[in-house]
Amino acid sequence: MSVFAVDPLLAGEVGLEVLAVVLFKVLVVFVLLIVSVMLMIWAERKIISDMQNRIGPTRAGPWGILQTLADGLKLIFKEDLIPDNANRTVFKLAPLLTLVPAFLTFSIIPLGGDFTDKDGVISLFGNDTYLQLADPPIGLLLFLAMSSVAVYGIMLAGWSSGSKYPLLGSVRATSQMISYEAALGLTVAAVFLQSGSFSTHTIVSEQSVWQWNMWFTGFVPMAIFMIAATAELNRPPFDLVEAEQELVGGFHTEYSSIRFALFYLAEFMNTITISAIVVTIFLGGPNGPIFIDAVAWLWPILWFTVKLFALLFTFIWMRATLPRFRYDQLMDLGWKVLTPVALGWLLFLGARDVANDRGWNPVLVVGVAVTAFAVFGALLLRAVRMGKQVRELEEMRG
Amino acid sequence: MFIAAALIILSGAMGVIVARNPVHSALFLVQTLFGVAALFVLQEAHFLAAVQVIVYAGAIVILFLFVIMLLGVDKVEDLNVEPIAGQRPLAVVIGAAGIGLMLTVLVIATDVISGAHSSTGPLGESDIDEIAKSIFGDYVFAFQLTGVLLTIAVVGAVVLARRAATDPEPIPESAYDELVAAQIAARESTLTAEGGDGTAQDGEETTDDGEDSADDGEAET
Amino acid sequence: MIAQVLAQAFESPTIDYHALAPEIVLVSFAALLILLDVVLLEKGRTFISALAGIGLLATMLPILTLAIDGTDRVMFGGAYVVDDFSLVMKAMFVLSGYVVVLLSTNYIAEGDYWENEYYGLLLASLTGMVMISSARDLISIFVALELLSIPVYMMATWRKRDIRSNEAGLKYYLMGVFASAVMLYGMSMLYGTAGSTLLVDIGEAVGGEETTSIVTLAVIFTIIGFAFKVSAVPFHYWAPDTYEGAPTPVTAYLSVASKAAGFVALLQLVMVGFYARDDVYEPVLWILAAASMTVGNLLALRQENVVRMMAYSGVAQAGFMLAPLAVAGKIGDDAVVATVTYLLIYAAMNLGAFAVIIALARKTGSATLDSFNGAFHYAPGLTVVMTMFLFSLAGIPPFGGWFAKFAVLAALIDANTAAGVVLAVVAAVNSVIALYYYGGLARRMWAEEAPDGDLTPVRVPVSLVAALGLAAGLTLLFGVFPNLVSEVSDVSLISTLGG
Repeated sequence: MSVFAVDPLLAGEVGLEVLAVVLFKVLVVFVLLIVSVMLMIWAERKIISDMQNRIGPTRAGPWGILQTLADGLKLIFKEDLIPDNANRTVFKLAPLLTLVPAFLTFSIIPLGGDFTDKDGVISLFGNDTYLQLADPPIGLLLFLAMSSVAVYGIMLAGWSSGSKYPLLGSVRATSQMISYEAALGLTVAAVFLQSGSFSTHTIVSEQSVWQWNMWFTGFVPMAIFMIAATAELNRPPFDLVEAEQELVGGFHTEYSSIRFALFYLAEFMNTITISAIVVTIFLGGPNGPIFIDAVAWLWPILWFTVKLFALLFTFIWMRATLPRFRYDQLMDLGWKVLTPVALGWLLFLGARDVANDRGWNPVLVVGVAVTAFAVFGALLLRAVRMGKQVRELEEMRG
Repeated sequence: MFIAAALIILSGAMGVIVARNPVHSALFLVQTLFGVAALFVLQEAHFLAAVQVIVYAGAIVILFLFVIMLLGVDKVEDLNVEPIAGQRPLAVVIGAAGIGLMLTVLVIATDVISGAHSSTGPLGESDIDEIAKSIFGDYVFAFQLTGVLLTIAVVGAVVLARRAATDPEPIPESAYDELVAAQIAARESTLTAEGGDGTAQDGEETTDDGEDSADDGEAET
Repeated sequence: MIAQVLAQAFESPTIDYHALAPEIVLVSFAALLILLDVVLLEKGRTFISALAGIGLLATMLPILTLAIDGTDRVMFGGAYVVDDFSLVMKAMFVLSGYVVVLLSTNYIAEGDYWENEYYGLLLASLTGMVMISSARDLISIFVALELLSIPVYMMATWRKRDIRSNEAGLKYYLMGVFASAVMLYGMSMLYGTAGSTLLVDIGEAVGGEETTSIVTLAVIFTIIGFAFKVSAVPFHYWAPDTYEGAPTPVTAYLSVASKAAGFVALLQLVMVGFYARDDVYEPVLWILAAASMTVGNLLALRQENVVRMMAYSGVAQAGFMLAPLAVAGKIGDDAVVATVTYLLIYAAMNLGAFAVIIALARKTGSATLDSFNGAFHYAPGLTVVMTMFLFSLAGIPPFGGWFAKFAVLAALIDANTAAGVVLAVVAAVNSVIALYYYGGLARRMWAEEAPDGDLTPVRVPVSLVAALGLAAGLTLLFGVFPNLVSEVSDVSLISTLGG
């Protein structure tokens, strides 16, 4: 099938050995994700404690590193409650709907592989392959598709609980997620424009050791992507979904035991996946200098991990330091700032490419672009302000 | 593969109709849409499949669910009330006739439906390129005007939905009841006066909508 | 880098901007109107309708230059064609749009509606119509159809504080969407059969020796979709309620431009796409035409409300316009000529009739037949023109309507088949029935006493006078010099495409 034809592993005949390699990769990716979630939760608690002058978990294992495992075990053995009012089938379906997309998305991330001269091909048990589970030609679209499927889990969880706080929480979450998906999609489109492909592998190999998409796309898409991703993940400062003071616990208020654990797992898995995607599309993925040839295979993985950890630390940092947004501010930011800027930037990048193609004067192009931005930005601002004035006027009149 | 996808689609479509709960119907619709996405993958149209999931499952059905939840119509419908007498038997007859017609066509048709690729020839490098070439090539004008269409639809919808503070009270719900009552009266008078010829059909149509909205009104209060 | 490779492989389509100019001008004006609203808010109200009118007149310019140029322009591999047929229809749409703007000016301004968006939607809808007259493939036709319909759904609901207007919009919308779905189903089967969306290719694939069941179903579904649009019986249920509830200028627009657009698409589909499949479409259209004429006229007899009466009369008129198509396989392009002739004349006289209704409703504030009693005593001018429009609709010389009916009947007889002759007889009988209710309304206006003896004259705003003048002038002109209209409507669909 042509779905996997890009990977040299599957280009030839698919025998038993190849199948074993694929299964091995599946296992590695799965275990990796679970373990990193465990560590991520622990790290988050530790780092936040540190920033808030507390100690954090200490009991389970050295530095409390096994705390997550202990929590998980505890949750598994707790009673599985389903509220009377709940819609039972959907109630049970919802956690799975959040979890499965979280796993699937991670499968398109290139975790390693030497991209400097071997185009990311590594040798695994004598078979040439990429160090990523799947490289479908639609690549990042899979990520977008999965993030839209994940919305269902949250929406249905809130609805099926048959209780009003979860419903409110899930409605908030869903509107937030679909609003920010617009900005998210537009920034990803900027990357597509730069790399000319949807495939994550191609996107990584189009970048090189230090030449990352972050520079080529002019940093703005990455900033927008990070903000939108935070909102998409419902992490602070955009965690209105589970604003405790208002909503008790948000969409998963009624969930307990293992089902709750699944939501929790999915949330952190998504955080890791999105960070990994930022690394892939903006930060060059596993690209990096290779120093010692004997362990050449290790360096890309190391670079990937370092970049990933830096991003995860940023997410934790934001959580520890930023206060929560108000709901109207959140929507304003999404629709009136991020989406227009992302769209404008995409147009600018398009204009740049066309100018390169036709050999136009770059200074002129930039000048025209800046002027156009200024004019339309001013018009937009004026429209927003006028709308506000009219609203206030009407409210005054009663 | 094709049969599996077809089964997913058909069972989903049946579920949409059979499910009593609107939310369940919407979920079955998602199932159907995923089945269609699977069919696209079988035809090696990966891009279409992804877009199918992103747009239909990710945006459209979510909006359906939003409306269902916010309007509070996510209750099981009461099937004992029949708004228009004789409507359901008629619907059964017409539906059966429609299905019969379609099945006859399928049986007579010389081409048996299979999962085989369409005969228009292989796609080029990838379906993404082909779609891009069509949209920005032969269909560029229609594509641009679709943009106009979407913009204008948004503008119109906002204008219609917007309620300025200076607006008088919104139409009270009782107005619906009055309208229904008036229409029923009008219909009855026509029926009694002229013995129910052509005009009655028209009256019936009107009553249909009116009563539906009245039902909604009661459900909310 | 891959992007560059692709960029080289991609060939930009050649775009003839002159041919697209009408659409471009219209879209620009629609966008301008909406943007002005954002910037100017209420300040724009004074000149916004004038601007819309100017936009429409500006659109006439490229249409005229294209007409003078006279060459047929084909773009996008045959998906978009500018020929005599499309130019005539474009001109008709733009002119009727202009008349609707004239009708709306005071109606909308005085009714506390949102104005700028109203004209923006109107222009967008007209863009769809202008596009549909050139669209020769399924995708363009569908996009154009939606572009012209969706704004109208919303315009029908424009009196949003009136529950009847809400009902009107909702009904029209639901029916329209349902029709689109049926039509799309048919279109998808057509595409499946032909492997192409171009009508020419479909014509080749569909027009084989024998018909297959899929093709039959596809043709029927597609025609049914448009039957909703043109409100042909038995798909006319939405029409009376929508016409009654919608703002009257919108009703005028619906009954003329929107209906004509449906016919334009139907003509193109039948004459180019299905032409050789006359064993399928002729019976379908025959039934639709005969039923529309008969049922429409019979129901119109019983109406108490003049707008509802016009709605049913519109249904009947649609039957007349469908009639030539029911014998299209025998007479070829003559069917196009007959239908186009009818459309042009119908547009003038029907818009005129609505203009009078709007003008009189300014005084009476109602649209029941009773409120027209004795109009002659306080509004003699309006009564005279209304009589003219009514007689024209009924088909009495020397007003335009007779020539329209004559063209249709001639086409039916020309076909020289039993079906054609029977349909001609049905049409003739229906003309007589129609005369009864058109005449009835005229009688009320001339002979009855005004209700309450209120004889204060009606103040008719300038824009309405202009609209009336335009419509009346054209109706009279078409009636007295039918050569004019046959000169214009002498178009063909088949020859230009070599099909």
